[in-house]
Amino acid sequence: MIWKRYIPIAIVGFFGSLTLFGWFIENEGIKSFIDDDATQWYDIIASFAIFLGALNLLKLQFLKVLKRKAGWEYSVVAILSFLIVFVIGFFMRGAFVVDIPNTDIQSTYFTQGAAEEAVNHLKDSGIIASITPAQWGAHIQTEGGLFKWMFDNIFTPLSATMFALLAFYVASASYRAFRARNFEATLLLLAGIIIMIGRVPIGSLISSWMIMYLLVLVIGILINTYFRSRQLVFGWVALGLIGVTVLGSSMGWPIDQPAVFYLPALQEWIYTVPNLAGARAIMIGIGLGVVVTSLRYIFGLEKSYIGNQ
Amino acid sequence: MDNKRVVIYTVGILGIVIFTFILSQFHIFNSSRSFMFIVLLTVIMVLFNEIQNARKDSDSIFLRDIPGLKAVEEAVGRSTEMGRPILYVPGIMDMNEVETVAGVIILGHVAQMTAQYETGLDVPVARAIVMQAARESCKEAYLSQGRPEMFNEDMVHYISDDQFAYAAGVNGIMQRDKPAACLYMGKFYAESLLFAETGNGIGAIQIAGTASQAQIPFFVTACDYTLMGEEFFAASAYLSRKPELIGGVKTQDTVKLMLIGLIIVCLVMRALFDLDIVSFNLLDMIG
Repeated sequence: MIWKRYIPIAIVGFFGSLTLFGWFIENEGIKSFIDDDATQWYDIIASFAIFLGALNLLKLQFLKVLKRKAGWEYSVVAILSFLIVFVIGFFMRGAFVVDIPNTDIQSTYFTQGAAEEAVNHLKDSGIIASITPAQWGAHIQTEGGLFKWMFDNIFTPLSATMFALLAFYVASASYRAFRARNFEATLLLLAGIIIMIGRVPIGSLISSWMIMYLLVLVIGILINTYFRSRQLVFGWVALGLIGVTVLGSSMGWPIDQPAVFYLPALQEWIYTVPNLAGARAIMIGIGLGVVVTSLRYIFGLEKSYIGNQ
Repeated sequence: MDNKRVVIYTVGILGIVIFTFILSQFHIFNSSRSFMFIVLLTVIMVLFNEIQNARKDSDSIFLRDIPGLKAVEEAVGRSTEMGRPILYVPGIMDMNEVETVAGVIILGHVAQMTAQYETGLDVPVARAIVMQAARESCKEAYLSQGRPEMFNEDMVHYISDDQFAYAAGVNGIMQRDKPAACLYMGKFYAESLLFAETGNGIGAIQIAGTASQAQIPFFVTACDYTLMGEEFFAASAYLSRKPELIGGVKTQDTVKLMLIGLIIVCLVMRALFDLDIVSFNLLDMIG
């Protein structure tokens, strides 16, 4: 009980308070502990913990293969990939730099043999070159090395593929979100259209007068929907169109006036006023939630994170 | 806020201001951060007072219904009926993120429900430390429900530290196992929509909770229920009904009320300063 409950809570309380109140104290020792040491301790612990994760991953994949569970073939790929990367990262240098002295010309080879062969070829041409194996540790980041090659040519494209899926998912999610099912969804749809059109170059070519004409027609549709009166609709549309035309003629049809109907100005307003207000409200809520939740951990009021239900 | 609270907090804040003023006379105290120090001590004071009040009578504190949290039990029930597991994703960050800790805490409550209903639970994680914490949380939950035999430590398993490798792994689990319910509670980045859309595609009931502001719209769009920001942090209080935690929720609201008051006072003082009615700018003093 003491080891599993009280000591962890005491550690969290002590270091949490030190980090929290240390921010208000002018002391280099405390400052360096908070900014550097504590973070490094965490990194060291996390680095060791990764072995637990890796072992767990291997164990589950091996079990899947042994029990021939559904999709066990993928587990074989996972295990093989793990072992290949592990061996190359830990036991193979995979980066031998062939350097021609007094020039900027250098080339990296995966194996010592390939590098020696290249040096011999250069020797036959009368060029003297030297081989420098990459330092252990640095070998995984050496440009042209085996590990870096694998990272750039296998891992990065695979990650990019997953990331690229987002484009399709954004489209399908937007389709669902923009269906005008109720007032809020319609508002979202309108705001989305204004922001999208207002942010592209064609948006600045659309005159605010055209938006005003559209608005007159849209309000006409709404009047028709709610009042079902032809006279009212006709009256509104006729007066609206004449009013906009008279106003436009008197003002000389400037493309960006009245600014409230000019899409780039309108989208900027939506973005910086209602959107920002909503975002800040959520931010304040999140900030308070983080502070109060953190204080609960520091003062030992919340113990569920160590399994105390 | 009742009159008693107003008096307590007013006197408390005055005391804190005086205490901070005294501290600021010492070189060791960073006086440029005095205002933040006052705010911090005020939050602590409110927290302890509200917890004390909640311990006396927690029923008097009104907790509004949060549909997302009510739906958690519904989701577990649905999974039980369908005979399919529940997938719980505690975010992609490590235990140094308060959102991940909140996610692990909610996992404990979900695990209690799965233990009660005898439903499968699958928790793929992106960090080894989170794996250990989540295992401990689930183990305690199953023990507390008297079902230790149902706990299997491999129900919490590691996939990868890398964001998209983890996303690919979780999406693969979704496609193969077709969980009846998917819960996403923690810190998320771009993978949020990958999870939520895949979950939507397999027809799972989806509940998300995050304080990652940029990901909230994606979850709102693709999930059935979303706990936004502070709702996410209030979840453990809502689910456990412990006075200590309910007091924390009340603290958030009380401090929010104080902040609204402070914003109004600052606005008025700034207007008076601009009109040359007062000679000092309160915003400059706050820093």
